[in-house]
Amino acid sequence: MLKFLVAVDGSAPSSRAVDHLIRHVGVLKEGAEIHLLNVQHQIPYGSRVSSVVGHDKIAQFHREEGMAALKTAMQKLDSARVKYHHHIGVGAEADVICQYARDKGCDQIFMGTRGLGSVSNLVLGSVATKVIHLSPVPVVLVK
Amino acid sequence: MMEFLNELQTAAFWTGLLAIIWVNIILSGDNAVVIALAARSLPARQQKQAVIWGAGAAVVLRIILTIVAVELLRLPWLKLIGGVLLFWIAVKLLVPEDGSDDGVESSENLWAAIKTILIADLVMSLDNVIAVAAVAKDSFVLLILGLAISIPLVIFGATMLMKIMDRYPIIITIGAGLLGWVAGDMMATDPVLKDWVDANAAWLHWAAPAAGAAFVVATGKWLAARAEAGRREVVDLGEGSETGAPR
Repeated sequence: MLKFLVAVDGSAPSSRAVDHLIRHVGVLKEGAEIHLLNVQHQIPYGSRVSSVVGHDKIAQFHREEGMAALKTAMQKLDSARVKYHHHIGVGAEADVICQYARDKGCDQIFMGTRGLGSVSNLVLGSVATKVIHLSPVPVVLVK
Repeated sequence: MMEFLNELQTAAFWTGLLAIIWVNIILSGDNAVVIALAARSLPARQQKQAVIWGAGAAVVLRIILTIVAVELLRLPWLKLIGGVLLFWIAVKLLVPEDGSDDGVESSENLWAAIKTILIADLVMSLDNVIAVAAVAKDSFVLLILGLAISIPLVIFGATMLMKIMDRYPIIITIGAGLLGWVAGDMMATDPVLKDWVDANAAWLHWAAPAAGAAFVVATGKWLAARAEAGRREVVDLGEGSETGAPR
């Protein structure tokens, strides 16, 4: 069975990437193993804050933000009755996305061309650009 | 009044002001973030209370500590100690959290949250105050301005500061370097050393700050790189598996 990694951040392009993925999977006879991933940035002041508040509080913060970012994608996949695993990573997005793809042995990455953080004139967002460079597998970019 | 207006015209005032604003953004932000995080898990009404108490305590602490710090920094040895403290704080700013800190016992009620916040306030106000006092040096105006600027940042600044730092992490690097500069300068002017330095090694007045800044940035970056490399395993905060009907 093919394994797909779909990286989302709650933005419109990443939502459309999920739609595209669903259509893709619909054509495959035996379906696919889907890994849904959202990557959270490390918070600034990381070590100072964590020494007072503790690592768990920060992890909880990341988890909540991550689940919020995953919500739309999860709803779409649930409505389409597609099985998936969901993950929340922390760190530099492109690096973490490619790390997951490698670790899970994914065959393909799906993602939006741009995300929430982008500036208007760029054709391709910085994360997508880096993923193309670093990815060990083919990348499908959805606008 | 004339004195004040005269002071406004010196370059030293404006660079000092810029430095103080920068230092405050860096060192008030973490206080604000802690307050926001500690209050997050509380129900809405209690969240407001926690933030109000926490920010209020931070303000009071800052005022008291500023007065104390200015007096203390006149005493021999204290600038040296303060300088070392600032170096440590500055380096830690550049190191990401490593997943191993337990912090204060984390529980979900209002008092536990306030306790966390008060401890954070104490620790974080202290270094904010030391840094501002060190940058302000003899200028009373800068000291008051420094204090005044930090207050709204601590109270309202968490979300905005987190977003800014996230988008422009260079702000933290420059801020850490600035703290290193201030620490170096502070140490070179400690009453114990001051006379000797002025007589024999006046070049330390620029060399120490420069070395301080370079030291902080180099050490911080090195430690951060080591932490990154050491992190082999993939962080996954999701639950792993979710189902719709199987296809």
